[in-house]
Amino acid sequence: MAVYKRTYRGYSGAITPSWSRFLVLFRFSRETLFRSKVQTAFFVLCFFFPLLCLLGIYANAHLSVFSFLGRRSEPLLNINGQFFFTYLTVQSTLSFILAAFIGPGLVSPDLANGALTLYLCRPLSRTEYVLGKMSVLVIVLSWITWVPGLLLFAVQASLSGWQWLADNLWIATGIVWGSFIWILILSLLSLALSAWVKWRIAAGGLLLATFWVGAGFAQAINAVLRTKQGYLLDVGNLVAAIWHGLFRDGVNMGFSVTEAWIALLAFCGFCLLLLMRKVKANEVIR
Amino acid sequence: MSNTIVFDNVSKFYGDVLGVNRVNLSIPPGITSLVGPNGSGKTTLMNLMTGLIRPSRGQIRILDMTPDQPEQLFRTVGYCSQFDSFPKGLTGYQFIYSYLLLFGYDPPLANELAWQAIDRVGLREAAHRKCGSYSKGMRQRIRLAQSLAHNPRVLILDEPLNGLDPLVRAETIALFRSFAKQGCHVLLSSHVLHEVDIISDQVILLSGGYVVAEGNIQGVRSEIEDHPMQILIRCDRPSVLASRLFGEDNVVEVRIHDDRRGLLVKTSNPNRFYLLMNRIALDGISIESVAPIDDDVNSVYGYLIGTEEAVR
Repeated sequence: MAVYKRTYRGYSGAITPSWSRFLVLFRFSRETLFRSKVQTAFFVLCFFFPLLCLLGIYANAHLSVFSFLGRRSEPLLNINGQFFFTYLTVQSTLSFILAAFIGPGLVSPDLANGALTLYLCRPLSRTEYVLGKMSVLVIVLSWITWVPGLLLFAVQASLSGWQWLADNLWIATGIVWGSFIWILILSLLSLALSAWVKWRIAAGGLLLATFWVGAGFAQAINAVLRTKQGYLLDVGNLVAAIWHGLFRDGVNMGFSVTEAWIALLAFCGFCLLLLMRKVKANEVIR
Repeated sequence: MSNTIVFDNVSKFYGDVLGVNRVNLSIPPGITSLVGPNGSGKTTLMNLMTGLIRPSRGQIRILDMTPDQPEQLFRTVGYCSQFDSFPKGLTGYQFIYSYLLLFGYDPPLANELAWQAIDRVGLREAAHRKCGSYSKGMRQRIRLAQSLAHNPRVLILDEPLNGLDPLVRAETIALFRSFAKQGCHVLLSSHVLHEVDIISDQVILLSGGYVVAEGNIQGVRSEIEDHPMQILIRCDRPSVLASRLFGEDNVVEVRIHDDRRGLLVKTSNPNRFYLLMNRIALDGISIESVAPIDDDVNSVYGYLIGTEEAVR
């Protein structure tokens, strides 16, 4: 046994707060995110509909512009909960496609390259890893859902006055909560599929299939059992039921909002279970 | 604060499969090598030390820290796995830099530490190339760089010398020694037994998930009583010396060396044998050297586990 002098001095300076570490993962995933031109083009395309809505809101508030067309000063659009519900439906469809592009490439390369061990032998837990990867989807999808939605709401409020704002504040809540629910479900499902299906295209396809096959399966159950409870297996319908509640349009989906919440929570729990079973640092070779 | 890595009756089972069983170790600073055939539990021990897996039973303490304190533990431990594990699309520099940010260093400090680590493994010129385009040796070096970039006190390296050319291998061994000289722990696994012999202050021999032997290799050898110690004696009159040794009860076997300038002796009691050699030397036989030839890792491994070929 050799005798060694203890000259080692570790780092004792300031460090960033531990809660912010997961953002490092976002920072590096972001760089690879828009390398694909198709993906970038689609992301830009996602802002087309909000822009159209913005023009609509503006035109609606400046009807005198159209007086030369001989139009009476009736509103072009009814800017209400239904308007923003439609906005959210369109944007969520686009965000679904964008998630199918981005999501599958988040976890599977790390698993395929054995990089999880390297992440997890640092001060980063499995939960923080998942949060970091999820933050990529949450931030990107936020940019095309609730962020422009809130901007549209703010523009409408500024054009219509304080009274409109006070009367319709629930719409803003609906936009934010509705978007968050959708983003959370898309993110969890994308990451879970990314962890289990290593082939990116297959994982993207499976994400689309989860919704479409689920919808078909729900219809089949409804037809066979002559019920509407089958819709509880259709994630798209579950989210729609919650949105209808948030936007107060009184549409009945055949099951209560509480049932929809319970079914969605179970779905999220299942996705988390799938994800956590794969996100492990085991590196045992026999 | 304790300066040792302690395994206290540690077992790890993967379902019904044994990883390691009833491991009791106290590893002091210096270079420690884990040696054993595939599936003997080397990587499991390393994963346990780095907190990547939890023991099924027992406790592990790394310099008085437990794997339940990841924030402190991972600042102290640097791990270089044996597999190519690079997040897709990163350059060598980004690979080191991004992982340093996970330690909570601010970007300028992370940048400085990243370049220091890259310089230590001699990869400055290739630092802005993607890891995917690196040769096997370069990958090994960049992996090593990421493990030591945060200046850990415990460096755990799974087969760190694989794929390195002789020059880089020598530089890397020198790097390990410089770490050990600072009072740090360097734990490495290797299949190259003669290298383990040169590098290590102590070895841990594993087989089938059990620790077969641990400690200074000469100390381990002296405790293997089933195999008499082999000693090579260089002298001017080997046949006279051989006839003299035949009468000693601790001498099991005497053979004249092929070049007829020495003897190969097997003794069951090396200490008594060395005292005997002192007396013989005084009796007029000119003895040039007396050296044990099977107190290296290779021989000990062969006696305790199997032949060197079994390692692969």
